[in-house]
Amino acid sequence: MEYIAVALAIALSTFGPGIGQGIAASKAMEGIARQPEAAGKIQSALIISLALMEALTIYGLLIAFMLLGQIG
Amino acid sequence: MADEAHASGLFNVLGLEVTSTMTTMVGITVALCAVSYFASRRMKAVPGRFQGAMELAVESLRGYFGSILGDANTRRYLPLLGTMFLFIIVSNYSGLLPMAGHTPGLAPPTASLSVTAGLAAITFFAVHTLGIKHKGTHYFKHFFTPYFFMVIFLLIEEIVRPVSLALRLFGNISGEETVASQIFGMIPLIAPLPFYVLGLLFGLLQAIVFTTLTSIYINGAIGEGH
Repeated sequence: MEYIAVALAIALSTFGPGIGQGIAASKAMEGIARQPEAAGKIQSALIISLALMEALTIYGLLIAFMLLGQIG
Repeated sequence: MADEAHASGLFNVLGLEVTSTMTTMVGITVALCAVSYFASRRMKAVPGRFQGAMELAVESLRGYFGSILGDANTRRYLPLLGTMFLFIIVSNYSGLLPMAGHTPGLAPPTASLSVTAGLAAITFFAVHTLGIKHKGTHYFKHFFTPYFFMVIFLLIEEIVRPVSLALRLFGNISGEETVASQIFGMIPLIAPLPFYVLGLLFGLLQAIVFTTLTSIYINGAIGEGH
């Protein structure tokens, strides 16, 4: 039962950021396709925003590890 | 799991436990110092291959941070940001060495939360020290703009920033290490290769992200419009 909680902690926390990152990446690619000369700026902004979304998943991973430590 | 290998100490120095993470950190520091020393020992106007490669690295780092911080500030803070970048990227890549994390004395430092928390603490103190140095007591004013009660949220933000910096680097690198070692345990041949390639990509990306966010925070602290 506890293992289901661990699995859900990481699985659910990948869900939202996954969607968000997909939207961000698709918009960035649209932007690059429309304006190839701005590719560098868009790229660095994209990496920052992806990293900030990534943090949410990492929180989930941390909670999963903490739960796993509690069980084992 | 990879955690067990670098949680246990190797030996004691003056009552302090020395772990594999620490020995690897010292090794990386010595290696970086040695490379920089030998690259800059006999500098020539027309650089050879070795000096040329190092100059290319420094120049591209300066160009990158210059696009965020501006030229004058980049010259001033490149030693901090560049060192951070090089240390993080070499640490991340040290996890790709054969048997890293399972051999005593060799474990990627950035897969340990203590190391990334230390790096994030450097960022935290650097940002606020530089902010106070540049603006004096005016620095504290931005906590109260535009409304006085914003101070609660802005203070929480200042605490969340280093925490998320530390957790992001730690989570990515240790997660990647764990995945690679699990796959290696299941199918030792060929199957872990894609994960090593991903590890190369993530190692670079996380180093870029960490230093970029640091430079953005520094820019926010010393810049005019905040």
